[in-house]
Amino acid sequence: MSVRKHKLVNQRENILRDMLEGFASAYPGIVRLTDDGLIVRAQPKASGKVGLVIGNGSGHEPAMIGFVGEGLFDVNIPGAIFTAPGPERILAGIKAADRGAGVLLCVSHHAGDLMNAEMALELCQAEGIEDVDMVVLYDDISSAPKGSEPERRGTAGLFFVWKMLGAFAETGTSLAECKALAEHIRDSTRTLAVALTSCASPITGEVMFDMPEGEMEIGMGVHGEVGMGRHAITSAEATIDLMLPSLLDDLPFRVGDEVFVLLNNSGSMTLMELYILHRTVAQRLSESDIRLAGSWIGAYATTQEMAGFALSLCRADERLKGLWAAPANGAFLKGVV
Amino acid sequence: MGAAWDGRGFVGLIQALNEAMQAAKAELNGLDSALGDGDHGESLAAAFADAAEKAASLSEPSPAAVLQATSQSLLNRMGGASGALYGTLFLRMSLAVKDRPDVALEDWQAALSAGLAGVQARGKASPGDKTMVDALAPAVVAFASATDLGGAFAAAAGAAQDGAAATAAMVAKFGRAKFAGDRAIGHVDAGARSVAILFVTLHEFWEGQYGEG
Repeated sequence: MSVRKHKLVNQRENILRDMLEGFASAYPGIVRLTDDGLIVRAQPKASGKVGLVIGNGSGHEPAMIGFVGEGLFDVNIPGAIFTAPGPERILAGIKAADRGAGVLLCVSHHAGDLMNAEMALELCQAEGIEDVDMVVLYDDISSAPKGSEPERRGTAGLFFVWKMLGAFAETGTSLAECKALAEHIRDSTRTLAVALTSCASPITGEVMFDMPEGEMEIGMGVHGEVGMGRHAITSAEATIDLMLPSLLDDLPFRVGDEVFVLLNNSGSMTLMELYILHRTVAQRLSESDIRLAGSWIGAYATTQEMAGFALSLCRADERLKGLWAAPANGAFLKGVV
Repeated sequence: MGAAWDGRGFVGLIQALNEAMQAAKAELNGLDSALGDGDHGESLAAAFADAAEKAASLSEPSPAAVLQATSQSLLNRMGGASGALYGTLFLRMSLAVKDRPDVALEDWQAALSAGLAGVQARGKASPGDKTMVDALAPAVVAFASATDLGGAFAAAAGAAQDGAAATAAMVAKFGRAKFAGDRAIGHVDAGARSVAILFVTLHEFWEGQYGEG
């Protein structure tokens, strides 16, 4: 399977800097790039509210730079391509997000993200910064079995946390309440992804993993981590039928539940395909007497030009529906659909 | 001679490690691309280049100060899981030799043991999990059983190389390679290999600076 290896960039060692400068220059009303490489809100959140911060490896745009703004994150610490930022940079991000009511460090569960976040919290302790906490988030059912949820990876479905936790923090709730809500959304969310092609690393210029022509991998991680197994590429309908039962069983989602749906484009899927996929998702949910509370379809967390998508479901409740509908103004996430 | 290393010795060591990591860049990238994202050599080389520069610019380079500066380069220039683990290794070594003007055999043993304990506490990996611990743990054991520094560096270098080579037969329990399952078999872990390079460089540097042969 051919993968486009050449990316239109400048010097390879400047990819992160060039991207952040370009991003900040495009959205001056929403974000600002600091001298130490943080993406922060152009207008900081009012003081007395919990600050939300996340670090992550870059290369997954618009995650996470696109989710800084009103009703979303206060600060993003973008690391090198597919590499979590180090503890001192995370500490700088925590300080930048502080509005006097504590800071919640969100961690999308990957080994590097977790270790560096733990070290950053140790640095906070050493500096006497006490009102900071972290929440470890995961959603990908293919990465560890049911019963071992904390070992699962964080992937596209954390989108639900970003949106609704962001809205919640704007209401002036406490750090402990923010952490509890993040955990509640995490524990209500399940994701499964499919990849049809590989992609090229912007650092090495090489294909990141091998994907034979005509096959697809179910459970592919956001860095090409191997998932549950390979299948011959089939129809949109059959693909959803391969995925949805596992997702529904895992939480489990039950008759009468209401769910939010995310169909996330991993890179080079067409909207046409995603809409066709959503048709089957909506049909199957209806057949299972599960109500659709709202859908988001688009490229929210990508793996370069990988062809594939993630299907995420989040069980809705009245509180979450209110937060879903609250205003948001990130470069890549606006209000409600 | 050479029963103990002073701060200048450590500055020289970090420079030697920088040269070794620059030379090993392509090899480590290649190993990492089998199971990771192919940048282990790149990021390690960048961090050691930064560390060598920092070490050279220290006005009073005590052993602890050189190791501490190196840990900062690894933590913050390298990032990711490897940066956290390599950074922790050098940070714990630095703390173990705090206030020492020079570092003799017993201090080296204590520092490496502290470094290994820190890496295992941070990464939760045990020997056999196909990580850098598979090279580091046998190296530290070999180092601890030696009775002189020259013998310790030689034994540690051999044990680290053997440990790294043995990771080819292992299934990974951590990091991205974990998700490759049996597909990981046949590939040497990039982190274990870079630890082997580290110990081989330590030994060669020792031979060049202090060795009697």
